[in-house]
Amino acid sequence: MIPATYRASFSYMLRHPWQLALALVGIGIGVAVIVAVDLANSSARKAFLLSMDKVTGEATHQLIGGPRGIEENVYVRLRTDHGLEAIAPVVDGSVEVDDVRLDVLGIDLFAEREIRPFTAEATVPEGGDDSSTQNLFSAFLTEPGSVTMSARTASELGIDVGESFTVLAGGVEFSGFLLGTYDSDQGGLDNVVIVDIATAQAWLGQRGWLSRIDVRIADGDAGALDRLKQSLPSGVRVLTAAGRTQATAAMSQAFMTNLTAMSLLALLVGLFLIFNSVSFSVLQRRGLIAVLRALGVTRRQLFAMILTEAAVLGTIAAILGVVAGTWLGEQLLTLVSRSINDLYFRVSVTAVTVDTFSVAKGLVAGIGAALVAAAAPAIEATTWEPRLAMSRSTLERRAGRVLPLVTALGVVTMAMAALLLLVSGRDLVAGLAAVFLLILGFAFCVPFVVRRASLALSPVARGLGGTTARMAVSGVATSLSRTGIAIVALAIAVSATIGVSVMVDSFRASVQDWLQQTLQADIYAGVQRGAMLPDLIEDLADIEGVTAISTSRRTWIETAAERTQLLAVRMAPGSYAGTDVLDAKPDEVWAAWESGDTVLVSEPYAYQNRVGPGDRITLPTSAGERSFAIAASFRSYDINASAVMISRDNYDRYFDDDGVDTLGFYLSPGTNVDAVIDEIRSISEGRQRLRVDSNARIRDLSLEIFDQTFVITDVLYWLATGVAFIGILGAMLALQLERAREFAMLRALGMTPGQVGSMITTQTGVIGLLSGIAAIPLGVVMAWVLIKVINRRAFGWQIDMAVTPDILVNAVIFAVGASLLAGLYPAWRAARSRPAVVMREE
Amino acid sequence: MSPTSSSNSVSEVDIELRGLSRSFREGDREHVVLDNVDADFARGEIIALRGRSGSGKSTLLNLIGGIDAPDSGQVTVSGVELTSLPERERTLFRRRNIGFVYQSFNLVPTLTVDDNIRLVLELNKVGRRDADSRIAELLQSVGLADRAQSYPDVLSGGEQQRVAIARALSHRPSVLLADEPTGNLDENTATAVIELLETLVRDSGGTMILATHSTTIASTCDRTIELHNGKLVSR
Repeated sequence: MIPATYRASFSYMLRHPWQLALALVGIGIGVAVIVAVDLANSSARKAFLLSMDKVTGEATHQLIGGPRGIEENVYVRLRTDHGLEAIAPVVDGSVEVDDVRLDVLGIDLFAEREIRPFTAEATVPEGGDDSSTQNLFSAFLTEPGSVTMSARTASELGIDVGESFTVLAGGVEFSGFLLGTYDSDQGGLDNVVIVDIATAQAWLGQRGWLSRIDVRIADGDAGALDRLKQSLPSGVRVLTAAGRTQATAAMSQAFMTNLTAMSLLALLVGLFLIFNSVSFSVLQRRGLIAVLRALGVTRRQLFAMILTEAAVLGTIAAILGVVAGTWLGEQLLTLVSRSINDLYFRVSVTAVTVDTFSVAKGLVAGIGAALVAAAAPAIEATTWEPRLAMSRSTLERRAGRVLPLVTALGVVTMAMAALLLLVSGRDLVAGLAAVFLLILGFAFCVPFVVRRASLALSPVARGLGGTTARMAVSGVATSLSRTGIAIVALAIAVSATIGVSVMVDSFRASVQDWLQQTLQADIYAGVQRGAMLPDLIEDLADIEGVTAISTSRRTWIETAAERTQLLAVRMAPGSYAGTDVLDAKPDEVWAAWESGDTVLVSEPYAYQNRVGPGDRITLPTSAGERSFAIAASFRSYDINASAVMISRDNYDRYFDDDGVDTLGFYLSPGTNVDAVIDEIRSISEGRQRLRVDSNARIRDLSLEIFDQTFVITDVLYWLATGVAFIGILGAMLALQLERAREFAMLRALGMTPGQVGSMITTQTGVIGLLSGIAAIPLGVVMAWVLIKVINRRAFGWQIDMAVTPDILVNAVIFAVGASLLAGLYPAWRAARSRPAVVMREE
Repeated sequence: MSPTSSSNSVSEVDIELRGLSRSFREGDREHVVLDNVDADFARGEIIALRGRSGSGKSTLLNLIGGIDAPDSGQVTVSGVELTSLPERERTLFRRRNIGFVYQSFNLVPTLTVDDNIRLVLELNKVGRRDADSRIAELLQSVGLADRAQSYPDVLSGGEQQRVAIARALSHRPSVLLADEPTGNLDENTATAVIELLETLVRDSGGTMILATHSTTIASTCDRTIELHNGKLVSR
C-alpha cells in the first residue's frame, strides 16, 4: 500500500488536474520533439545506409576513376591478366520514371555471385523449359531495357511484371521493361532499378565506361590489396566501400546536428516548464509539507517524496512524449528526407524505424529533466522550518534574496559560453554547447531584470491606472517565485524566434545577393544528371539573339575522407564578375585561372580544408594525382558547399570527360527572353528533355528551395514556443489558484469581474512585454552566434548579419500576444469565480 | 417570532430579509443552511449574530453583502433589493455601501497598508487628495499612522485587523459586515478591536452585523440574534 505521505502528495496533483495536465503536456512536448527529430534523423540515415549496404553488397573496396569513371577495358584486364575474381563492374546513375527519381544499378549478373548474390534472386516468370533464374540471365543479356526492382517500387510506380514503361535518362527517353521483382522484405532496394550493365551504359551515356569496379578482398589480406593497387592504371584509385558510404553520409551530418540542437532547445524550454510545475506544486503545498514535517517526516523522507513524485510525473509524461514523438517523427521524416534529397543525396524512406536507443534517450531525457528540475524545489522545501503556512511574501522575499546570486551565476555562465566559443576552434558541437550555455546564463539573469523592470514600472502604472494597475504590474515582481520561470521559458522561446529569424533573414538576403551576382546569363538550359548532347549544344549556340554562351559541368571528386564537387566552367566574355572572389584581386585571379594549373575553391572548401590563395591542393585527375595552385576562394551558398572551380580548358586537359550539363545564354539587348526559351525547347524537342529557365525563374526556384529547407526549423521553434505558451498558462493558472482568496476579497471589496479579469490580463500582458523585451539582447546575440559561429562551423558559409527592426517588434508583439492568450483562461476563471464559494473553500 | 429591530434604536429599516433560503450540496446530500429567514435591521443598529460553527453566519453575511445569491427570498439594503440586481450592479452597490471585516483579515499581501485602504477608495473614485487625507485620518484613528508603508505580513494580528477595519470603513459604507473579526486574536487585542470597531461604526452612523461566538462581545451590541437550524431567532 502506498504510504499516507505519498497519498497526500499525489492526491494534491489529482485535485488540480489542470496543473497536472499542463506539466505532463510540457514535459511530453519536450520529449516528443527530441524523439521525433532523433527518429527522423536516424530513420533517414538508416534508410540511406541500408540502401548503400545493399548496392555495395559484399564489396570491401571500390575502384574509382575520374569524373567520367573507369574505362571498361580496365575491368577486363584485372579479371583476365591479373586473375582477380571477386570483382564486379558497376555503372550507376539516376533516371526518372513518371517523374519519380530512381537510382540505376547497372551490373554484370555473371560477376555478381561474389559481390551481390541477391541480384540473381529476382522473381521472374518461368518460360518453357527455363527456370526463373535462367530466364533472368538470358533476358538481361538479350533484351535491352530489361530491369528488376523491388515489388514495392514496382507497385508504387504502377508497373506490372512483363510491362514496358518509359525511362527518362539525362533528358532522353528510353524504353524499359520490368522483367521481375525482388521481395519487398529485402530492405534497401526501394527506388532502385537493377539493369544489365550495357543497358545502364546506354541510358546514362557511358558506353565503354564504368562508374566503378567493386572488389571483395578477404579481411586482413593486405597482400591482395597491394597487388591490386599495383595493377591499377593511372587515374584509377582504390577506396574502401565503407569509407565512401561514410563520406557521403557525412555530408548531411551538420544538417542533422543542427536539427538535434533545435530539438534540445525544445527540451530546454520544457525543462523550465517541469521546474515551473514542480516548484508550484511544492510551493502550493507548503502547508501540507509543514504539517508533515511537524508530524515527524524527516527532511530526507520529504526530499524522497518530492523526487518520487517528479519521477512518476516524468515517467508518465516521457511515455506520452515517446508516443507523440513517434507520430511527430513520421511527419518530420517527410521534411527531413525532402531536405536531404534536395540538398545532399537521395534517400528513400517512408516510415520511421522506432529505434530502442531513440526511445530510451527520450525516456531518460524526460525523467532526468523532471528529476533535475525537481531537485531545487525539493532541496528548498526541506530547508523550511516545520511551522505552518509560511507566508507568500516571506517566500517572495527569500526568492528576492536569492536573485542576485542566481544573476551572478548567469553572468558567469554567459562568460563561460564566450570562453568556450573562443577556445573551441571549429568544433560544431562545442559551438552548440556554447549556445546552450549562453541561453542558460541568460535564463538566470532574466528574473532579476524583470523584477527590476516591473518595480520601476509600477509607479508609472499607478499614475496611469491607480492601485489596480500598480498591483498588476508590481505583481509580476512580487509573484516572481511563481511567474519567474514562465517568464524565462517565454523569453528563451522568443529569443530563439529572434535568433533564428534574424539568421534565416540574413542568410536569405545573402543568398539573394549571391544569386543576383552569380546568375549572369539571361537563360540557363541543361540536364540535372548526365550530359547534354554535343550536337544539341551546337544547334542551341546558333540561336538568333544569343551573343555568348557559358558552359558548366558538375562532377564529384572523391578522396578517402570526403566528396568534393568539381565545377568546370567556361565563362562567357565579361561574365567573370558573376563570381565573387573573396581574398584576391579578381583581375589577377582570372588570368591565372584561365591559363595555369590554378583553381578557385569555394569559401566553405577553404574553411573546411584550411587553405587559401597560394596554397596547393591535389586533385585526382584522369592521369593520376596532380597539384593545383589555389588562386582565391569564391563566395558560394551552393548546398554542395565544398567545391573546386576549374577552367574548362584545364578540365579538358586533365580530366577525360567532355560532358557539359548546363549552358548559360547571354542575349543581345532587346532580345525577347521568352522567345529564346521557346526556341531552345523547340530545338531540343524529341532529342533531349532540357530544363530551361530564365535567370529570374532560377532565382525564385532557388529561394523556394531555401525556404523549404527552413520549414523544419519553423516547425521546431513553433514547438518550443508552444511549450513556453503552456508554461505561461500553467504559471497563470497556478497563480490564480494561489491568489483565489485575494481575488475573492477584491470582489468583496467591490471589484467587478471585468476589473479582476483585466487586472490579471494586464499582468500577463506585462509578463509578455517584459519577456519580449528581455528576449531581444539574447535573440540578437544568438543570431550572431548562429550566423558567425554555428553556420560557419557547420557549413563554412559567411553570412552578412542584418537585424531588421520588424523582427524585434514582431517578437515583442508575439510575446505579448502569446502571454495575453495564455492569460485569458485564468483571467476568465478568476473573474467568474464566486467570492462566497472561494471564501468558504478557503 | 421574526427578529426585528428594537423600537428604541429604530430610525428606519436599513436591511430587510424576506424568506431567505440557502442550501449547499455535499455529495448527494442537500445541506440547508438558511431556511426561509425573515429579519429587519435598523440603520445605526449594531447586531451580534451568533450560532454554532457551520450554522450559516458567514453565509448570511455573504448574502447581505451581495457576494452570494440566495436560492430563494429577498435581501433589501438601504431600499435596494440586492437579489433582483444583476451581478455587476450588485458589485457596484457593494463597492459603495458595504464594508467587510473577516476573521483572517484578508489584506492584499503585495500591497502596503496605505495601498490596501487606497484600493477601495480608488474603486469608489475618490480623488487622490481626498484619499490621502482619508487614509491618514483612518490610520490615525486605528492607531497605525506610522505603519502606512508597511506590508501586512510584518504586522501583528491585531494590527492587521485594524488595517482591515480602516479599509472596511474607508468609503463610509452604510453597512459593515464583520465575520468573527476577533477569532484570530488574543482576548485583550480582541477587546480593543471590538471597541475600536464599535466606536468607528457608531461615529459613522452605519449599521453593523457582527458574527461572533463570544457572549462578552455580543453583550456590547444593541441586540443579539442567533442562527439555529437555519432559522434566525432573537435572544
